[in-house]
Amino acid sequence: MKFLAEIFGELGGTLLFLKTIMTTLVNKKIRRSDVFTQIWSVIIASFPTTAMAGFFVGAIMTVQFALLMNEFGALGYLGGLSTSATVREIGPLLIAFMLSGKVGAFTSAELGTMRVTEQIDAIRCLGSDPLQEIIVPRFIGIVIASFFLLGFGLIMSIFGGMILGDIFAGVNFQEYLRHIPTVVNPVSILFGTVKCGSFAVVTATVSTYKGFTTTGGAKGVGKAVVSTSVMTMILIVLMDWFTSFIGDIVLQIARGYRS
Amino acid sequence: MISLFTETFLGVFRPPFRKKEFFQQLHFVANTSLAIIVFCVSFAAIVTILESSFHMKLVIQNDSMVPGFAAVLILRELAAIVTALLLASRIGAGYAAEIGSMQITEQIDALKMLGIDPINYLVVPRFLASIAGTMMLTVIANVFCLLSAILVSQLYLGFTFGMFISSMHRFVHFQDIIFSMIKGACFGAVIPIVASYFGFNCKQGAEGVGHATTNTVVLASIGIIVVDFILSYTFSHIY
Repeated sequence: MKFLAEIFGELGGTLLFLKTIMTTLVNKKIRRSDVFTQIWSVIIASFPTTAMAGFFVGAIMTVQFALLMNEFGALGYLGGLSTSATVREIGPLLIAFMLSGKVGAFTSAELGTMRVTEQIDAIRCLGSDPLQEIIVPRFIGIVIASFFLLGFGLIMSIFGGMILGDIFAGVNFQEYLRHIPTVVNPVSILFGTVKCGSFAVVTATVSTYKGFTTTGGAKGVGKAVVSTSVMTMILIVLMDWFTSFIGDIVLQIARGYRS
Repeated sequence: MISLFTETFLGVFRPPFRKKEFFQQLHFVANTSLAIIVFCVSFAAIVTILESSFHMKLVIQNDSMVPGFAAVLILRELAAIVTALLLASRIGAGYAAEIGSMQITEQIDALKMLGIDPINYLVVPRFLASIAGTMMLTVIANVFCLLSAILVSQLYLGFTFGMFISSMHRFVHFQDIIFSMIKGACFGAVIPIVASYFGFNCKQGAEGVGHATTNTVVLASIGIIVVDFILSYTFSHIY
């Protein structure tokens, strides 16, 4: 029972923090240069990681799909299918995992260190709002950077899939690329983008919240980092299911029938 | 890092064998992560089966093969890799923070002075426990993945339990679960090696521990994906 109460406490605290961030974002002026600095640093920090992960994920998906499609004799669809799976599902999920491991942990460690060395209190003492100065630029930075990273990662995954399709399954580049537009439609891309955005919001909120509310010295910072990465992973998987569910319902309403 | 791996691997066969530490670490790896992994893996399976049904309808206009298709995907890829990525962030971060703070408070130098080999004392039990724990968790994750897939396909897609099982029979072989376990063991070996490498090379100060933790999670995740690719490629020639 106590465990349940703790979970609800964490969840409520995170949501309230998101609400505070949103009100600060709407009501107060955010310095634009801060936001651009954050976007740039996030992209620079995770670009190689995302590119490498994207490449290998595309390769893995192609190998697995090639094994399965071979049994149906539909190897021509390989490019379309593995790209579609990557765009709709695996790509956003993997990029969110990488982002939470790299940027989420880093942000919460940075903010936690600021909190325990009383730099955040110092900012408040100087008469400015720490939320406006530190938290909101980071939040926006992570969310916007995630879309760029998603784009890079997906391009890399198509590239990896192409190469492995040629080596492993004998589907040449033209054949691989020709079937991508027949299977991947704009709705899928929109779906993937929405997913990526919601994961980025989760990562940004949890990492800033955990960092901002760190207590208890250097050990507290370590604890905040570990609990950030675990909590973001769980919430990302939950959000994944939730967005699929909501997306399905929205699509049904838009089409007017159940596919 | 490779030299650390070789030393750890040789240390496995070298006495003294520390049973107590091994079981403590096994408890940390397996028991405390069990609930989280079961939860996450079930949701991942639900999403997979819904998505694969969508794709099947798109390409071959019916989804009668979905259970087999999804079961193969779950057994070969999903359960093992989701488990490993979750463990990388949980166990990897924990180990790196622990060993890193031991390094900066000079406890590792103290161990060396007492004539205890830090690799034998710290790394080997964690290495073995992580391999064993990840292997067991992969099997459990497979079971829960399939259970939740069965449940969802019954509720949303209208497959009965028997249809699911019979469709599974045509695609899934017994060796799939063995390969899944091998994958789990390899992923389990990656995590503590990366974590203890960054822990041992941790820079002074609280910031150093933070950096070690972050680097561990990132590098372990990438390492797991790369190892997964290599293993998938190898196994695909054996099926």
